[in-house]
Amino acid sequence: MSNDLDESLRAALRPVDPGEDLTRKVLAAVEQDSSRPPRGPLPPPGHPGWRWPSAVLAIALLVGLATAYHWQLRRQERGLEARRQLIEALQVTSEKLDLAYRVVNEQEHTENGS
Amino acid sequence: MSARGHLAMLVPTLVLAARLACAEPPGQLLLPNFDSLTGKSIQSVNITLDSTLLGLAASFLDSSKPDDAATMQVVSGLRGIYVRSYTFNKDFPYPTADVETVRRQLVPPAWQRLVQVHSKEQANVDIYISVDHGRANGLAIISSEPRQFTIVNIVGSIDLKKLHQLEGKFGVPKLQLPDGQ
Repeated sequence: MSNDLDESLRAALRPVDPGEDLTRKVLAAVEQDSSRPPRGPLPPPGHPGWRWPSAVLAIALLVGLATAYHWQLRRQERGLEARRQLIEALQVTSEKLDLAYRVVNEQEHTENGS
Repeated sequence: MSARGHLAMLVPTLVLAARLACAEPPGQLLLPNFDSLTGKSIQSVNITLDSTLLGLAASFLDSSKPDDAATMQVVSGLRGIYVRSYTFNKDFPYPTADVETVRRQLVPPAWQRLVQVHSKEQANVDIYISVDHGRANGLAIISSEPRQFTIVNIVGSIDLKKLHQLEGKFGVPKLQLPDGQ
């Protein structure tokens, strides 16, 4: 029983000659591949393939510049408005401190006079 | 411990963390919304400058100009300026409840009243200062006149002498205080 199994395994796994056909097919495929022009990583400058990427890059650059300019303009507007508010706040604060001082001064004068 | 038990412990911790994160810095008041006054006033000033906006404003000051340099001196060390001021064309009764919510925050030991004045012309000015470890970190002014109502809250390290240096600049009135006061 076990001898039968061994025999059938040996028969199934015996080396088989691939034959002339396989060698010929492999050599033909290698020859065909080497006859193709070599593929570079990027097309040369001026190649029509560059048009779209160049346009996209230029648009992205313009959008980026416009965004940066707009951001800077907004920052300047906000900064100038904050500066105006700061000065106004300090004016109001000083006015109220002045009012307190004047009232205290008046009261002191009244007390000294009476 | 069950998932519900973990959740029961986590929620109060998160609430406390959120409260701490939202807590006002020392010297800062919670100002009420005076929207009702805006419509009745002929002029209103509503200024909210937090530390970010103060920094931005300071970056637009020119240190080579004396006026701007003096302002930069005042602003350095400040973390916020909040002003609410309303002017009316006739004597106007202010919403005392709103004013009281502000006054209730101005209590010792955090706040000390520096000045309380009442003039014959019914101008009342209260000035409070918040002091922490011997350093002033907040100033509050509540001024009520018959036709004007103002609350100012300055947060941060305040040097009144520096504020004094601003007199006569940018339309800031001459305080006529002797140096050092």
